[in-house]
Amino acid sequence: MNEPVEFLRLENVSKRFGGIVALSNVDLTIYQGEVVVLLGENGSGKSTMIKIIAGVYNPDSGTIHIGQKQYKVLNPILSIREHIQVIYQDLSLFPNLTVAENISIGHFIAHRRNVISWQEIYKIAQQTLSKIGTDIPLDVKLATLPVADWQIVAIGRALIEDAQLIIMDESTSALTQKEIQRLFQIIKNLKQQNISFLFVTHKLEEVKEIADRVVILRDSKKVLEQNAQGLDIKTMEFYMTGRIIDENATTRHNFAEVSATPLLHAGNLTLLPYFSEITFDLMPREILGITGLVGSGRTEIALSLFGVLPATSGEIYINGRKINVKNIKDAIRSGIGYIPENRIREGLFLTQSVGRNIVARIIRSLTKRGVLLPYIINQTAQTWIKELDIKTPSSEIPVSSLSGGNQQRVLIAKWLASNPKILILNLPTVGIDVGSKASIHDLMRKLAQNGIGIILISDDIPEILHVCDRILVMEKGRIKREIHQGEVDEDKLYQIVVG
Amino acid sequence: MERVVKTYEFALFIALIGFSMVIGFVKPAFFSISTIFNILDNSVTYTIMGFGVLIVLLSGEIDISFVAIAALSSYATNMLLLSWGYTGGISFYLIIGAIFGALLGLAEGLIVTKFNIPTFFVSLGYQILLYGFTLFFLGSTYNFNLPPGLTNYYSEFLIRVKNPFGAETSLNVPVLYLLIIAIAMWLLLRYTLFGRGLYAIGGDREAAKRVGFPVKRIILLALIINGILASIAGNIQNASNGYFDPTLFRGNDLNVIAYVIIGGASILGGRGSVIGVVLGVIFIQVLDLGVIYMGISADWQQLFIGLALVIALSASTLPSILRRIQE
Repeated sequence: MNEPVEFLRLENVSKRFGGIVALSNVDLTIYQGEVVVLLGENGSGKSTMIKIIAGVYNPDSGTIHIGQKQYKVLNPILSIREHIQVIYQDLSLFPNLTVAENISIGHFIAHRRNVISWQEIYKIAQQTLSKIGTDIPLDVKLATLPVADWQIVAIGRALIEDAQLIIMDESTSALTQKEIQRLFQIIKNLKQQNISFLFVTHKLEEVKEIADRVVILRDSKKVLEQNAQGLDIKTMEFYMTGRIIDENATTRHNFAEVSATPLLHAGNLTLLPYFSEITFDLMPREILGITGLVGSGRTEIALSLFGVLPATSGEIYINGRKINVKNIKDAIRSGIGYIPENRIREGLFLTQSVGRNIVARIIRSLTKRGVLLPYIINQTAQTWIKELDIKTPSSEIPVSSLSGGNQQRVLIAKWLASNPKILILNLPTVGIDVGSKASIHDLMRKLAQNGIGIILISDDIPEILHVCDRILVMEKGRIKREIHQGEVDEDKLYQIVVG
Repeated sequence: MERVVKTYEFALFIALIGFSMVIGFVKPAFFSISTIFNILDNSVTYTIMGFGVLIVLLSGEIDISFVAIAALSSYATNMLLLSWGYTGGISFYLIIGAIFGALLGLAEGLIVTKFNIPTFFVSLGYQILLYGFTLFFLGSTYNFNLPPGLTNYYSEFLIRVKNPFGAETSLNVPVLYLLIIAIAMWLLLRYTLFGRGLYAIGGDREAAKRVGFPVKRIILLALIINGILASIAGNIQNASNGYFDPTLFRGNDLNVIAYVIIGGASILGGRGSVIGVVLGVIFIQVLDLGVIYMGISADWQQLFIGLALVIALSASTLPSILRRIQE
């Protein structure tokens, strides 16, 4: 093996915003053809670091070495000229343009080519995709393709400007296991061509698969830099949060003793083509996990219980009483709450205050003769902010200014305020960092202990294994297997899900 | 070929043919060359303005002041050329008018881009401002004063045919301008970075910024072209009328936008085509004419056309709804 050649080196880089230190004396080296995974909780300085490398922020002190050159500050254009490309979480692509245009258009802009040659657009795109080693139709609109393909198109666009370092910010958060595998294969291919990656992720299980080296930031400092080999998840969690997270340290119940009547009974629920003959029980105080690949029907079952996609046949009993769920109103009246996958789009009024969001579902009960009294809203909101430990300076600031984990809590508070018997959470910890994730898990346990039945829908294998008392694995619209806590380990569960 | 068949524009084309069949079935007189000439002739100015509306919509903006730009620039052009003692035809009107139109578009664009205000808000006031300016400073009456070269403009034709009622219908010269402008617009949208930039910033403005499109310059240029096209439409319309109207096209702004949307453009930006605009305007002209041919009484025409517009506009949102269902 050859001596590794350094591509980029940050030396003693610091950055402050007003009185807040975002990055303090951080060193980082990336070698050619290396994949460095950058970990850290929200606010640890990860995005500041990315933006310094991308030339969006100017560091206050320190130097940036790229190849033989040395910079005090970069700017976006300079950074691109030095062959650095950033793929942001939102991908920055054009859904209404073709794949070929999405890949090649930057070339025409960069070279100030005002007249478009479609032949060239297709040629550049074709060459780029063959460099990646993948096959996507070039002449279809991007909007018609799955998100996994968007990711590849974004990599393609980075490559046309001859990128040597590609920075990927949370690139896997919207992908399924299979798609992640394909993305990793592509990254491995490009590594062979001496392209380096700086990979930012929250999914620690991915680290050992893709990383050569791991860098962890906490409180704006570098706390760990180590070869990925031999680094386990517990160690990474410890360095990220500064504390030991023990997901297993909770007592479990024996449900048979607690109660004989299930809180929720679903019998032979069928809604073609999504799922058929689904039968299961949810006991009081139980956390039931439903997992499976995208398209296995796991989300549709939740939507069905919540009345969005009513089942065409089958029965639902709550506390032994049969209920009819034909629409969302029925579900809510029966005490079923649903926290959607996309909390930003479907669950919260982002620009409205924390307090208003919390009381949004119970607004009717807070009025006096039809008049809304601000102090009652405030009181109710304060109760829940305290109860759920929501970190916010006041109940009057907009939800959009809170972190992901706290936004999720506001959403949970909104449902709890209406006093549900059953709460369904769909992918509640996507895009949330490790620390907040653990505390959302704690919250779920606490709620369960208080008697609320919880259904957790997730494809995060460690999460579902650690949090749930029982797990249903779905495949092609049917329950493939029921697994009790402690029956299998992560690898085994993973195999059951994909196998 | 398969790709063409799947487009919205193709569906609109089929609907247009189907609709014409129905009218022709009820009134065979509808099937004639003179009908085609009539429809094309009536479509010219709306289509030219429609192209301007299209590029503004593509960029994710909405402008309603183009009708006022058409009125002001053509009325002013006429006054200016008369005061110069101009005796020629329309060519000078189009050139001078285009300069006025470009400047008026530029002024609007500068307000939009310098102060970061959505074009729609600016144009709400700008439209009234421009009509007001014309009425107050230029003239509040029809101006029947035309240079000799322009007095017979409405009768200049390319071809003339007999119509079923025994009289003659002609294909007028402006149809030729429409053809030239349509081809130019198609080239502009498909083969220039500006054209692709319109689609890009309409698709995802933030992404467009990141990839390096000069977003503000693109919007500015779109509004300038919008102004130029409006001025051309204004001059052609006034010259064909035989008099210059200071309130030309007033109240037609939303109609033109509706035609463009029927033609498949998205009100949210990023989707739409030149051929779509042409089909959208022709569709409405066929509808208008069809109502007359089928002998639907004048009292019912508005109701009928309004109903058809609601149906057509609802149908134009079908592609995006279908896509959502597929997901």
